[in-house]
Amino acid sequence: MASIKRSLDSDPLQASISSKVYVRSTKSGKVQKIVREVYLRQDIPCSSKLCRTCQKMAPTDSAGRPIPFVLSEAPAGTSVYPNGHYLVPDTNAFLSAMDLFEQSSAFYDVVVLQIVLEELRNRSLPLYNRLIGLTKSEDKRFYVFFNEFRLETYINRLEGESVNDRNDRAVRQAVAWYSEHLARTSAGKVPTVVMLSNDRENLKKAKKQGLAACSLAEYVRQLKDGEHLLDMIPETEDGDMIKEKKPNEFLYPEYFSMSKMMTGVKGGVLHQGTFNVSPYNYLEGSIRVPAFPKSLLILGRENINRAVDGDLVVVEVLPKDQWKEPSTQVIEEEAVTKDENPDTEEAGGLVTERERKALQEEVKRTHSKTTEGHAQPTAKVVGVIKRNWRQYVGHIDQTSVSQSAQQGRKQDTVFVIPMDKKIPKIRLRTRQVAELIGKRILVTIDAWDRGSRHPTGHFVRSLGELETKAAETEALLLEYDVQYRPFPKTVLDCLPKEGHDWKVPASMDDPGWRDREDLRHLGICSIDPIGCQDIDDALHARPLPSGNYEVGVHIADVSHFVRPNNAMDMEASIRGTTVYLVDKRIDMLPMLLGTDLCSLKPYVERYAFSVLWELTPDADIVNMRFTKSVIKSREAFSYEQAQLKVDDASQQDDLIKSIRVLMALSKKLKQKRMDAGALSLSSPEVKVQMESETSDPIDVKTKQHLDTMSLVEEFMLLANVSVARKIYEAFPQTALLRRHGAPPKTNFDELANQLRVKKGLELSVESSRALADSLDTCVDPKEPFFNTLIRIMATRCMMAAEYFCSGTQAYPEFRHYGLASEIYTHFTSPIRRYADLVAHRQLAAAIEYEAVHPSVRSRGRLEAVCKNINVRHRNAQLAGRASIAFYVGQALRGKATQEDGFIMKIFSNGFVVLVPRFGIESLVRLRDLAEPEPTAEYDAETYTLTTSGSREIKVELFQKVKVLVTDQKDETTGKRGVKMEFVKAY
Amino acid sequence: MPLDTSAYSLALLRVDGRRWNELRRVHAQIRTQAAADGSSYLEMGHTKVMCVVNGPSEPGPRRGTAGGGGGGGGPGGVAEVAVSVVVAGFSSVDRKRRGRGDKRTLELQTTISNALAASLHTHLYPHSTISISLHVLSQDGSLLAALINAATLACVDAGIPMTDYVVACTAGSTSTYAANDETADPLLDLNHQEEQELPSLTVATLGETDRVAVLVCESRVQASRLEGMLAVGVSGCHQVREILDQVVRDKGRHMIKEGTVEKGMGVEEMEVD
Ligand SMILES: [Zn+2]
Repeated sequence: MASIKRSLDSDPLQASISSKVYVRSTKSGKVQKIVREVYLRQDIPCSSKLCRTCQKMAPTDSAGRPIPFVLSEAPAGTSVYPNGHYLVPDTNAFLSAMDLFEQSSAFYDVVVLQIVLEELRNRSLPLYNRLIGLTKSEDKRFYVFFNEFRLETYINRLEGESVNDRNDRAVRQAVAWYSEHLARTSAGKVPTVVMLSNDRENLKKAKKQGLAACSLAEYVRQLKDGEHLLDMIPETEDGDMIKEKKPNEFLYPEYFSMSKMMTGVKGGVLHQGTFNVSPYNYLEGSIRVPAFPKSLLILGRENINRAVDGDLVVVEVLPKDQWKEPSTQVIEEEAVTKDENPDTEEAGGLVTERERKALQEEVKRTHSKTTEGHAQPTAKVVGVIKRNWRQYVGHIDQTSVSQSAQQGRKQDTVFVIPMDKKIPKIRLRTRQVAELIGKRILVTIDAWDRGSRHPTGHFVRSLGELETKAAETEALLLEYDVQYRPFPKTVLDCLPKEGHDWKVPASMDDPGWRDREDLRHLGICSIDPIGCQDIDDALHARPLPSGNYEVGVHIADVSHFVRPNNAMDMEASIRGTTVYLVDKRIDMLPMLLGTDLCSLKPYVERYAFSVLWELTPDADIVNMRFTKSVIKSREAFSYEQAQLKVDDASQQDDLIKSIRVLMALSKKLKQKRMDAGALSLSSPEVKVQMESETSDPIDVKTKQHLDTMSLVEEFMLLANVSVARKIYEAFPQTALLRRHGAPPKTNFDELANQLRVKKGLELSVESSRALADSLDTCVDPKEPFFNTLIRIMATRCMMAAEYFCSGTQAYPEFRHYGLASEIYTHFTSPIRRYADLVAHRQLAAAIEYEAVHPSVRSRGRLEAVCKNINVRHRNAQLAGRASIAFYVGQALRGKATQEDGFIMKIFSNGFVVLVPRFGIESLVRLRDLAEPEPTAEYDAETYTLTTSGSREIKVELFQKVKVLVTDQKDETTGKRGVKMEFVKAY
Repeated sequence: MPLDTSAYSLALLRVDGRRWNELRRVHAQIRTQAAADGSSYLEMGHTKVMCVVNGPSEPGPRRGTAGGGGGGGGPGGVAEVAVSVVVAGFSSVDRKRRGRGDKRTLELQTTISNALAASLHTHLYPHSTISISLHVLSQDGSLLAALINAATLACVDAGIPMTDYVVACTAGSTSTYAANDETADPLLDLNHQEEQELPSLTVATLGETDRVAVLVCESRVQASRLEGMLAVGVSGCHQVREILDQVVRDKGRHMIKEGTVEKGMGVEEMEVD
């Protein structure tokens, strides 16, 4: 009988094939066992330039190119390893101190082991990506050694050995192999191979094996100027520092195990969502979960249980008798926890006396009322699925610094107050307190364990003095994750070689002219804000014999210069958008393109992508077409200039006449949109005027609205809608579009109630049309700003518009609620938005100008692009606003003015005033009113706050008030901000 | 979990430690089941399949073959090549059962049937059926290629005249369609993870020739990369042929030694022509 059982040693290859078994659990809770083959080999090089043996057998790719060798033949030495050294860090070293490895002063010639890379990837994808970035950087000399595939360094897991122990052993095995291998190179000075680890057990075993090994801290101390790097090593990892803690000293409840959470979520007992902190109360968070129409409230430190804003958490809903109303009180961390001592914080239990008092008053208030119907479900956090921790910008709380630390270099523990108010203060150990006080600094959170009231973190770097423009601007860019480093060389290499001398080719036989229409004869002009350098769009209009008009919108042809998938395209897709700050612009594309070659500057020929319509005098579209073109703009107007010329009847040249035609048409277009239910929303917009020489802010102006602005806006909307239809028709699955979801009705509940109670006005929200109409009726004949105020507040109830790939949504979901358009995309600003660039490529393919590039029709890729640019877009807006706020503060410095303001939010211990003149809002607390703090009566039913005692005032929602606006530097925190003092109520 | 296929560029190593142009270990045996006319067992890496061939047989009272055979042969007076593929539920990680009418299984059957019909001398057996029944015991990528190779071996074992081995393997590319990386390397013999993440195709050739008998590509791939992938695939087929041929020869020698085959019959004559 034949048998298919085969003897093990029959196969000569057998010795070098191994299997790895992984066990993974799926989302549905199943456990799967995966067996993978591993082919062990001996041709994986050590990549040291010293080693001749490996260089002879360097592997090649299919084109016969060998991979370059990375590790230097003369690596740097330290005090302990004078012959030079190569580093082999373990997984924990990367996990806890990636910032160190990114330093440019040290950490060169690093061997990254495959097993370490694998473990890192499983633990943290962002860190993995940063490490991959390092291996790609030429000057850092990081080499990935596939130890698990090399016969000599592969090891089998022993009986009873844990996976972690096995992996630690694999690291030591690789270190041993490297040392032995390099010793054979007969080099004059053989570099030492040093294992870096913070695991004491692992270090001990390595030393026993006779390997060179040290902890991060030990290693950094060997470096020249290593002292200042010490702060970047997280304290919890510093073996000697770990204090033994008794179990009953834990302050916070323990998290559930992952499987318990998963089962709970699946069974509907627990709920999963993103944790958000209230901007007015650091002890109140909320979380939106599909099972509840209203968001769940999470109140108090114990229920929040170490969740930080943005974390993906699992919560358990509390019993109904503990459901509460959202807070009507302002609670600020700075004020409540001011006097805590960072060193001895374990004492005193979880909730401090002050916090308990603040919360108790809260509870008293809610219980005193009959609140059925108002109560919101509450919940507590039982576990964290994924932390959303990033690097935070902040400054050291001076009051937390001990006197001795201000002088010496001994390590001290201090609190860092993050710029983002939603982030709790962070405990930090540092040796350079004295240098860091009064600086903007970048820190990270490392851990938040059950025994510590505040999260612990470590120092990354200093940005400079507080309140200096450079430091504050960089802080802002870091906070909003704006990519502001200069463009790398690989990107600049993608630019046209001619540089600024590039011209539209004179000969129409040039390939650049292929399928391009010559529109140079048209009277085209652009209208933009003053000083605009990156001109995306230009327009023209001319009468046709039929009595209709030909109207053209011409957009910079960026896709001609930025080819898909080259380095420049990749960089642009990561940046996603240009970010405009008051005194700085962070470009999406290199300057040469943005402000010159693509920019539709006047008097020069430029490539464009044109949308041409025939419109009736009533602005109905008769037909339209799209074409690549060459244009020559006649003039670049500012909004103000154009407005003056249009209004001046004596101006009769053709260009001005055509602007008047466009103006008339745009008004009809706008009317049509309004009839369809488009919303006219509002946000407080101001402009900071700078002194031209010193670029110091001198004044703040509210933005004026001109007809020429809506002229441009209307035609851009028309072009965007037209292009959206066209690309959707051509690519029903992969068109890149923009949608604006209808807000849930409950979003308007509070505002509707406020209007009904305070003004007797009804807000109907059934459709955008109904909302638009009812917003129109929200007027106070005595107060013209009231309508704008309501629009600002309504805007905050809306959803955010988002980019999406058409295949991911059903057609009815495409709708843009705010613009009342069935379909919409972004096409008109390709210089400053990546979405528009993709739309350009899709439109070019739709009109068969060029072949469809795979990247613009791969749905997976487009979804990734959308996800990224949605985030970037939002961050760019926030960064812009924060920049204005900073400069408004600077402009007010040393001045005190009385301004009119409006109460837009009211609490039981304070109220928020919006000052339209500066576009700022600020909180006025009861304790700011008078000393001692007046007692107050808050009527939540009528939104009225009445104080008595030291000062007697009565304020209510929507009320017009007079406030004294000053700038103020908070002495305890070193933070400068706008301060409002209540003067009187009108 | 190990790294994914994007790590290739770090050191030109694939997820299982192979280089771009290396096959996995191929292990094959023939005449594994004495009762059948022809049989084989084949492993390509962790993909493991078994094949049993019965026939060519005349129509008549049905024999209990696993295939849907027993009919009156194929059209035009040639033998029908009836292929049945049974995928065991335990063969893949998710242990999903494939039913009899599963579309992918039907497609596999048709592809294998057509590929073998091109090499087998079916005209010698009009009105007969050659039934090939394949069992998938374990799946780790390149399933179609393994099935074709196993079927070829079993047909050799059954002594059905054929032009040459039909040998197959897969080829892929180190970079996804969307990434559109110009410097992508072609890959030989993909495992399951690579098949999931990268574009791939299955190619079968007729023996050592460059004549392509099967070419199946179900993923998006740039036309410019296709040539390189195909070249690597065809060279892989040649390597597979060498291995299978060796298996057949070894078995032949063994059988002579054991006296299963008459001494007078030289090994050379055992060769398939
Ligand atoms: Zn070497």
